[in-house]
Amino acid sequence: MSEFDEAYLLAALRLGAGVDPAPLAVSAAARAAYALLLPGAVTARPVPVSRPAGARSPAEPRLHRFAAPDATIDVELTHADGRIDVAGQVTGGPWDEGPGRIEIRTLHDRWVRFPTETGHFAATGLPVGWLSVVWYRAGLPAVATRWMNTRRLDEADD
Amino acid sequence: MIDKETLPRLPVDQAEWNALEAEFGPRMWAVARAFGLSAADAADAVQAAWLRLVESIDRIRDPARIGAWLVTTTRHEALLLCRKGRAVTPTHSPPEPGEADAGDPALAVLSADEARRLWRAVDALDEPCRTLLRLLVTAPESGYARIAARLGLPIGSVGPMRGRCLGRLRKLVEAER
Repeated sequence: MSEFDEAYLLAALRLGAGVDPAPLAVSAAARAAYALLLPGAVTARPVPVSRPAGARSPAEPRLHRFAAPDATIDVELTHADGRIDVAGQVTGGPWDEGPGRIEIRTLHDRWVRFPTETGHFAATGLPVGWLSVVWYRAGLPAVATRWMNTRRLDEADD
Repeated sequence: MIDKETLPRLPVDQAEWNALEAEFGPRMWAVARAFGLSAADAADAVQAAWLRLVESIDRIRDPARIGAWLVTTTRHEALLLCRKGRAVTPTHSPPEPGEADAGDPALAVLSADEARRLWRAVDALDEPCRTLLRLLVTAPESGYARIAARLGLPIGSVGPMRGRCLGRLRKLVEAER
C-alpha cells in the first residue's frame, strides 16, 4: 500500500469523523486568493541559481530567479528584524516604452515601484509570508513570479 | 465523489470561487493533515495549492478536473513539506493543470459515502487496528509515542502496524464492493 493510498484513506476517515475541520482562517485565506488572480498574466517560473559554497547566515540576501519568455525577474530577499527586504532586477523584452512598473504583492498588500533604467527595484519592511513580484510593461502581458513563501525560504537549501 | 463535479466550469467570480473552496477546501485540509503535517504546515500546503491555481487558472482546459487538481496539488505541497522538514525551495514545480486525474481511485475515497463505508470497516477491524486507526484519525498530533503507550506497543511498531491496519481496512472495503 503506497504512502499516497494511506494518506487518502486517513484523509477520508478524518473527513467522515468530522474531527479537525479546516480552520476558518485557512478557508478565508483560500477565498481571498480570488483577488490575486491576474487574468492574462504570464507566470515566470523559478530557475536554479548557483550559490556560493560554504556556510551562510540566514540574514544574508538570497537570490531567486524567475523566467518567462522574454522576461527574467531576479528577486533578492533579506530577512531583517522579522520583516523582509526585497531587491530585484527585471530584464528582457523590448524597453521602448521604458522599464514599466513593478508590483510586489503579498496576500493582503501590494507595493508599487518604478524600476530604474537598469531594471532595478527595491522595497523594505514587507511582512514575512507569501510574496509575488509582477512586472507590468506597456503593450505586453504582465509577468508574475510564482508565489513564494518567504517564511520558509529562509530555511531552504541549506 | 469528486467525479460528480458541481462546478463544471472555471470560477468566474468571487461567489463561484467561494463555492469551489466550500467543495474542495475541506478535502484539501484533510489530505494535508493526513500526511502528518501540523496545523501551521497544513495551512501553508493548502494555501500553496490555491496560489498555484491563481498562477495556473489560464492554463486549465478541463474545468471538471479543477477539484482533483487542487487535491493533487495539496498532496504535492504536503509531500514537499514532509520531505524537506519545514523548508521549501521555490524551484519545485506543481502538477501541470492537465495532469490531475479526476478518475484517480485514490481521490474517489474523499467523499461522504466512502467515509461512512470506511468507518463501518474500521468498526469491523480487530484490535489493535481499530483503536490505532481511531487514534490516528481523532488525535493526529498525539504522536506515535503516546499511541504506543496507549496500546502497550513498542514505539517502533506503530508505523509498520499503521500500514498493516490501513491495508486491512482497504481490503475490507474492497471486499464490501
